[in-house]
Amino acid sequence: MSKIIEVKNLSFSYDSGAKDSKYAVQDVSFSVGYGEIIGVIGHTGSGKSTLIQHLNGLLKPTAGEVLLEGKNIWDEPKKIKDVRFKVGLVFQYPEYQLFEETVFADIAFGPKNMGLSGDELKSRVENICEVVGIRKEYFEKSPFDLSGGEKRRVAIAGVMAMQPKVLILDEPIAGLDPKGRRDIVSMIKNYREKFGAAVIIVSHNMEDMAVLADKLLVMNGGRLEIFDKVYNVFSQGARLNEIGLSVPTVTKILYLLNEKDRNIRTDIFTLDEAVKYLCGYGAGDAHA
Amino acid sequence: MTRMLKDITFGQYYGSGSFIHRLDARTKILLLIFNIVFLFLAKNYYSLALCTVYVAFVLLLSKVPARMFLKNIKTILPIIVFTALLNLFYGGGGTVLFTLFWNLTVTTGGIYRAVFIAGRIVLLILISSLLTYTTTPNDITDAIESLLSFLRIFGLRGAVHVLAMMMTIALRFIPTLVEETEKIMNAQKARGADLENGKLFDKIKALIPILIPLLISSVRRAYELAEAMECRCYNGGVGRVRMKRLRFSSLDLAAALFNLLFCGGIIILNILL
Repeated sequence: MSKIIEVKNLSFSYDSGAKDSKYAVQDVSFSVGYGEIIGVIGHTGSGKSTLIQHLNGLLKPTAGEVLLEGKNIWDEPKKIKDVRFKVGLVFQYPEYQLFEETVFADIAFGPKNMGLSGDELKSRVENICEVVGIRKEYFEKSPFDLSGGEKRRVAIAGVMAMQPKVLILDEPIAGLDPKGRRDIVSMIKNYREKFGAAVIIVSHNMEDMAVLADKLLVMNGGRLEIFDKVYNVFSQGARLNEIGLSVPTVTKILYLLNEKDRNIRTDIFTLDEAVKYLCGYGAGDAHA
Repeated sequence: MTRMLKDITFGQYYGSGSFIHRLDARTKILLLIFNIVFLFLAKNYYSLALCTVYVAFVLLLSKVPARMFLKNIKTILPIIVFTALLNLFYGGGGTVLFTLFWNLTVTTGGIYRAVFIAGRIVLLILISSLLTYTTTPNDITDAIESLLSFLRIFGLRGAVHVLAMMMTIALRFIPTLVEETEKIMNAQKARGADLENGKLFDKIKALIPILIPLLISSVRRAYELAEAMECRCYNGGVGRVRMKRLRFSSLDLAAALFNLLFCGGIIILNILL
């Protein structure tokens, strides 16, 4: 899989220049391929948010570089806006950034800033709404009349409408009801499938990470602790505990069961799989 | 723009527990007014020198680092320079040193006045910023409420409390709003909003995507706060007691006496020299 975004030895300090400046992010390197979903986890203040703001050029690294399709994004500082169209960033609680009179106009804000207009703009917005399941009846509604979950979907669609090759979402499902969460998750999956984009998700929710992500990037104290496949990360339960994180709840239950019966596997991280495994456990055992 | 927002230091409290921190907030407000009046009364360089010594002494006493004060001076420097320049050319008297174009003449009297005015403004800023550095916003508003409580004889007691509460809330929410503005600015920048380039009209138009969400969230916040206050049975000022009460102590008396000494000095220097 070829790389779309590559971070090399990135360090960032909010008060660069000061002698004893503390780094919010220190010496982080990783790369993301097309179509990959990366989960970023780490406890509060570990540098997750600072890290993702580097990827679309909202922050400029103190040291190190960010390569987008092999090109340093700060080679031409005047064209940093183009980077922001290619790397879409959805902040936490994006519903608070809505401002237009209609849902359509708000989703069109990003593409409009790219210079699109007329039919092109219209088809761009209609296209993305189809992908993420926002029906046409909503177009002329005021975004402020929608429910919380709907607002969030519109806000995320506003970033997706720019058709970024890398989509970054900071806590996209925090504070939503189960249906709202499912909607957002399927939105993200649809977008990745349709556009082959890489997706980077910051979340505290290990269960969702286990379902969604291909790889996990674990941040701790501004440094990259682990960057590996979901399986390899969640099998290091003790290490995750040490840095204030944990394995998914269902895995914790398997650990407890394992204390009673050493044969029970503890390397299952999603609810569905665990249910399947445990239901078949007795039967399989009888065979063996 | 983001940088600029972070540089706002209004209401920045610097706790060092010094003598001045321990004074009653009311004392500090009254003495500040008193000091400002006497800074304006200082007529000549001798009394201005006394003011300088006084301000320097008080600043040292506060144990607030000098760079905090310098930062305040720096933001207001253009105004100081501008005022000084105006006075340089309008100041009458003294011998004419040289004449610029037209009738702009620089006289010794003009220089005298320009330096004097600049010095006075610097001292005013220093002594005023001392209040916010050594007193928490809550104490300041409590003190204002207490100082204005004489208005109750005009039947304005409720109004004074409401005014003080509004000030407390406004001060409390400055950092929150700054943070919120930065967040929204970043979010719109991520959607390609251009806040820096373009003509004046474009720049004003570019503010709409920031101001509308900010306005909406402020209103939402206000409702939430009002609800939270009502849940704690807040219903205005009447009959309310305080957890932290302002109390005058012997420290305040000492500060007041010291100030009298300073003011006496100014008057004597003004008359004698």
